[in-house]
Amino acid sequence: MNFNLKSLLLGATASVFLLAGLNAQARAEFPEKPVEMTVLFGGTAQTIGQLLADLMSKNLAKPVVAVSRTGGGGAVGYSHVQSTAADGYNMVWNSNSVSTSHYRGNMKFNYEAFTPIARVSVETPALAVSADSGWKSLKDMADAVKAGDSKLKVGISGNGSFTHLTSAALFDKMGIADKVVYVPYGKGKAPVELLAKRVDAAVQWPGQFIPHQQAGKLTILCVTGKDRIPQLKDTPSCAEAGATDLNITMWRGLAAPAGTPADVIAKLQDAAKAAIASDEFQSAADKIGFEASYLPADQFGSLIASDDAAISDLMGKLGLKK
Amino acid sequence: MDAFASALGAVSDPFTLLAIMAGAVIGIVFGSIPGLTYSMALALVLPITFKFDTSAAVGMLLGTYIGGMTGGSVSAILLGIPGTPSAAATVLDGYRMTRNGRAGLALGGAVLASGFGGIFSLLVMIVSVDLVARLAIQFGPVEIFALVLFGLSTICGLAGKSLVRGMIAGAIGLLLMTIGLDDMDGVARMTFGWTPLLQGVDLLVAMVGLFAVPQIMKTLIDYRLDRAFKLNASGVRSELPSFRQLRNSFWLMFRCSALGTGVGSIPGTGGPIAAFLAYDHAKRFSKQPQRFGKGELDGVMAPESANNAVTGGAMIPLLSLGIPGDPATAVMLGGFLIHGLVPGPMLFTHNKTEVYLIYLAIFVSYLTVVVFQYFGIRGFVKLLKVPPHLMAVGILIMCGVGTFAIRNSFLDIYMMVGVGLIGYLLMRARIPVTPIILGLVLGPTLEREFRTAVIMSEGSFGVFFSSPTAVIFYALTIAVIGFHFFGQMRDAKKTRDAAGGDKTQQQGAN
Repeated sequence: MNFNLKSLLLGATASVFLLAGLNAQARAEFPEKPVEMTVLFGGTAQTIGQLLADLMSKNLAKPVVAVSRTGGGGAVGYSHVQSTAADGYNMVWNSNSVSTSHYRGNMKFNYEAFTPIARVSVETPALAVSADSGWKSLKDMADAVKAGDSKLKVGISGNGSFTHLTSAALFDKMGIADKVVYVPYGKGKAPVELLAKRVDAAVQWPGQFIPHQQAGKLTILCVTGKDRIPQLKDTPSCAEAGATDLNITMWRGLAAPAGTPADVIAKLQDAAKAAIASDEFQSAADKIGFEASYLPADQFGSLIASDDAAISDLMGKLGLKK
Repeated sequence: MDAFASALGAVSDPFTLLAIMAGAVIGIVFGSIPGLTYSMALALVLPITFKFDTSAAVGMLLGTYIGGMTGGSVSAILLGIPGTPSAAATVLDGYRMTRNGRAGLALGGAVLASGFGGIFSLLVMIVSVDLVARLAIQFGPVEIFALVLFGLSTICGLAGKSLVRGMIAGAIGLLLMTIGLDDMDGVARMTFGWTPLLQGVDLLVAMVGLFAVPQIMKTLIDYRLDRAFKLNASGVRSELPSFRQLRNSFWLMFRCSALGTGVGSIPGTGGPIAAFLAYDHAKRFSKQPQRFGKGELDGVMAPESANNAVTGGAMIPLLSLGIPGDPATAVMLGGFLIHGLVPGPMLFTHNKTEVYLIYLAIFVSYLTVVVFQYFGIRGFVKLLKVPPHLMAVGILIMCGVGTFAIRNSFLDIYMMVGVGLIGYLLMRARIPVTPIILGLVLGPTLEREFRTAVIMSEGSFGVFFSSPTAVIFYALTIAVIGFHFFGQMRDAKKTRDAAGGDKTQQQGAN
């Protein structure tokens, strides 16, 4: 028994050295250890993050591990990744929340604390109203609000959240910005509140509305990007429906701490590209209701910068900037 | 019926069955270890299910959810530390029963009540998913606020001898939860400009701190002072509830299951509220309320039937409206979506087979949970033979690992220790811990719903009296507090009267 244990230990030690040796041979080959992907939010953001990590692992020598660091509207996770070494072993599954968190005063650093790796997906908010309201188009709604005395109650995810900014920009374009009350709901409750008619409209993600539109309870008036989205081919974009030039979409992607070497970024970017192109990712995108949309690091970087400027401007107008 | 037959076919596939059972066992293990929760188990299981076919994936997720909900009672009863927030009410009498050498009876009662509650809520879901969903969405911010306020009134029943101490504890709980980023306005509160504190106090971290740390400290101090509580280990039998006991508790379990299903179906409420309301209900309507808190089997069966009934209740808005009730159901929703099951009104017309599949998987999960836990009791009670001071060290390590794993934050470990030290001091000051938990659980919902209601009414407080449902809850709240207050006055008078005469009367006064 004693002897067996000893030989087992010996064997284990030997194999560890052997593995270490093999690893040393393959040196300079990033990654030499698992890469951590910090996930900032729960719900579908977490599901997509876990799937992406799983698929990226197939294209790298070591696995990518999705690690959840939620809280503070993303600020907790961003702060963690920002403080880690810029060696490519830590990246963040990020979104426009990097700009909203910064301008709300919850993060001292901004998007420049990160090097972009790749854009992964795009989600387009949608505006929905109760089917019983009789509003068939964005104009119908805007006209009714202008004509009426009461304010339009709009369900959003939280004050200063992306859906809030989107709604504010939309209602500003429609000239009803001063006749709107925003009701912030956490955790995806806004669609229920709309079904129960406690709010008049809601701006949320299309996946939350589509099943209710199919059941005839809600009407989706428009989507806030400049183009229509694949899941809602018959729904106009808000720009088509009267909110001239409105184009707001939310991206998700990957970023590493600023200063991460370019060759490492390139490796991660290629792994992400292959993962996004896979059938599994494409089918998950269809089912969950987002658009898988790869953009390489440099283009992703300029997108982040231009969106950051737009968000700064909008939050300034709304008085949400700290 | 074709849909049912094909669902039955899918569930009876050996791989699917194995996936459901494996999920249930993983859930029980995570649920029963303090600090590890079913939300975590679900997040770990989710990537595994990506590769499964729909029936196995959905089955495994459901099994994990249900196993986790039930498993929380094991550590609540054996160690006095709830494995999940929903099991906090189970500690009150369950741990007492263990100290009285009746751990087996408590565990047996808990698992049977869990199975009863779960199957009850499943039946309600099958029969009336549409009706319940329609009723549940009538619960807006005002109604939920009123319900939660009513939930807070159960502090009276949990406060023990001193209502003031109970209120202090409740207020500490309410205040702790305001730390961090406020989700509604996105402003930081009580963080002193320090980013790590933006994450706030996690409910589970605080709970582990409050239940586990003081108890570990006490165990170790008692051991040093050689006055450790000696449980006669040979006396721990795996005694199981008799048929008569079950029959006597049948209506109680029935009522608590109905309560749990109802509370579970309202998005944004959940297991802990249901469990505390059920405990309070059982105590209030018991023939021997004075036995509660001293090891009464009904005090275990009531919260356990209610918190498991929440599983079926929570599935109602999840399946029929696509609204997750809590973080655990949100993870499940993600898993369902990946497999092309889009919850919502159309699910019941387009995906009949999958709906039956879900029903059957829930049923199989409960069957697994009951069988596994029931036959596991003999094994579980053996844990009590481990000397308490050694056990305490092991528990402390598990709690540290568990609190870190919730969101991979070191700060949470310090937070657990800090909250634990405060808990120990409060315990020495004879301030009860349970009302703190109630404050922690209910505080965020109470605040959020209150603010939402005021925003919607554009600042008018009249909105709180605009709903008959809410007014009923206010009346119940006042009644509970009033009865408690007058009851205490009467007891105090009795004690005074009795002080002169028969000393034995005093026992009735607590």
